[in-house]
Amino acid sequence: MRPCVIVLGVIGSDCHAVGNKILEAFFSDRGFTVVNLGVMVSQDEFIDAAIETGASAVLVSSLYGHGEIDCAGFRDRCIERGIGDIVLYVGGNLVIGKREPAEIQQLYHSMGFDRVFGPDADLDSVAEFLAADCAAKAVPAR
Amino acid sequence: MIFHDAPISQAELSEQQLEVRSSWPTGAEVNFDESVQFHRELDSSLNMAAALTAADAQGAVLVQPRAGVALLSEHIRLLTYLQDHCDLLPTTIDAYTRQNRYQEAEKGIARSEESGHSLLNGFPAVNHGVAACRSVVEALSKPVQIRHGTPDARLLAEITLAAGFTSFEGGGISYNIPYTKDVPLQRSLRNWQYVDRLVGLYEAAGVRINREPFGPLSGTLVPPCISHAVAVIEGLLALQQGVRSITLGYGQAGSYVQDVAAMHALRELGHEYFTEAGFTDYELTTVFHQWMGGFPESEARAFGVIAWGAAVAAMGRATKVIVKTPHEAMGIPTMEANRQGLEATRQVINMLSDQPPLDAPEVQAEADRIKSEVRAVMTRVAELGSGSLLDGTVRAFEAGVIDVPFAPSRHNRGKLLPVRDLNGAVRIYEPGNVPVPPEVMEYHRACIAERAKHEDRPPCFQMVIDDIYAVSKGNLVGRPK
Repeated sequence: MRPCVIVLGVIGSDCHAVGNKILEAFFSDRGFTVVNLGVMVSQDEFIDAAIETGASAVLVSSLYGHGEIDCAGFRDRCIERGIGDIVLYVGGNLVIGKREPAEIQQLYHSMGFDRVFGPDADLDSVAEFLAADCAAKAVPAR
Repeated sequence: MIFHDAPISQAELSEQQLEVRSSWPTGAEVNFDESVQFHRELDSSLNMAAALTAADAQGAVLVQPRAGVALLSEHIRLLTYLQDHCDLLPTTIDAYTRQNRYQEAEKGIARSEESGHSLLNGFPAVNHGVAACRSVVEALSKPVQIRHGTPDARLLAEITLAAGFTSFEGGGISYNIPYTKDVPLQRSLRNWQYVDRLVGLYEAAGVRINREPFGPLSGTLVPPCISHAVAVIEGLLALQQGVRSITLGYGQAGSYVQDVAAMHALRELGHEYFTEAGFTDYELTTVFHQWMGGFPESEARAFGVIAWGAAVAAMGRATKVIVKTPHEAMGIPTMEANRQGLEATRQVINMLSDQPPLDAPEVQAEADRIKSEVRAVMTRVAELGSGSLLDGTVRAFEAGVIDVPFAPSRHNRGKLLPVRDLNGAVRIYEPGNVPVPPEVMEYHRACIAERAKHEDRPPCFQMVIDDIYAVSKGNLVGRPK
């Protein structure tokens, strides 16, 4: 089977680089083809890379608190650009101040993200979700 | 080693100032002469440089939080709440302003007003302008510092210094390499020479503004010699432009022997290089940052990390300590959590205030190693610069002579690989092109080999990753599962 291509990056004006480097190493090790855009990536840069590489999924990180602004309308933008059915994940410290995880999940689901992870997410289970979600999207619609 | 970097000429500065001040509407509010007058009339208890120098003379450790929100009234409320629990105040600037994205900061302010809570991770001082920033300074009874992460902080400095803030964090390396992806070092260094020159203008007018290079860099397993070399360089660059109050910083690595040694070495190296360069009339103080890496989710455990940082700040006789909060693992804290971090820190600092600083043979040996590493790096910087510290620094980064681990910038080599030793100290596994003296490199290798043997695995990237996550999982050294 062709390895699943995923686009990775830290959105907005966020420069948290450490976790990004670790995610790249982790997902590569798990057999994904990782296109890592590094820090400070705009929505359109994520989408450009996804189109250019035919990626199955985009994994967005946000650590600095501006995620709520930076991620708004991400799915709509994907639809406009013609990749509306791509798998979208978001993870990190996604809001400012301490808020309930369920509330944060709902907030990002409403922006069109398929799965939402906190800073303590277990990477092994993320990799399992990702493999399953990419496989599901790969089945042609009937 | 002699460096001949000249202060920016008055003509060149004036020309740049016109451009900088017209890059956003609030820049027009800046009036230097009137601002000097405002500073002169400020109560001396509000001057950061004076507070730091006085504390240093007494051997006291001052306590300072990080804090900033989008809206002016909320920001004043936050700092007013915190000021009874700390010695020095911050105004932390939001990440859009740090990238000069004032339009986006404007949107963040509007959306924060609509939603009733701050959607920005700091205070957008440029958008608020001089008069609003002044109302922050005037509402408070402690000195206030601007803390940020801005490669081009010229307009931010113009506005906030005019507003009466008396300390400005950052530098051309420390606010570029860990904070950006593709800003040329030459450009950020020049833009920070402007900031230092501006501080020098205030100094010449009798107003002392404190400058603080950002010590922790990427905050992730940074060997002390790397952050110290950067601190010494940024201190020298600031002195060259007329700055006279300098606070050199260091981020807690986790080993008390190494951290206390690093704090001793930092002060000694600062004086060594500053006096060698011919500067005598400066004030040098130090700052210790509590653990800058990942924190435990549990607030109780986070307090453990905070208290440990407080203890090492006291043992290392830092002039001030920058405090974390129990909410660190999940991002920006509530003001109550911020206050709790300050109270926990204060408790430990007070309990250690009558005890002597830690002095042991191991500490001295570690400090000696750090100093010899920094001297080797500085010698190479001087050779590469042929008389120019700025050029030498740019070439040192190009060549990987200075190399910051886990930094996002393309202008950093990223070949140096650190890992902890058996005792928790950060050692250099792969030096890249950093000219670590052979006998010190041998020591690093021996320490790492000892750990590898103990864990029955070769030193590898997984070991480094284990170290990065260790503190958040409840340890210092990342042992194998």
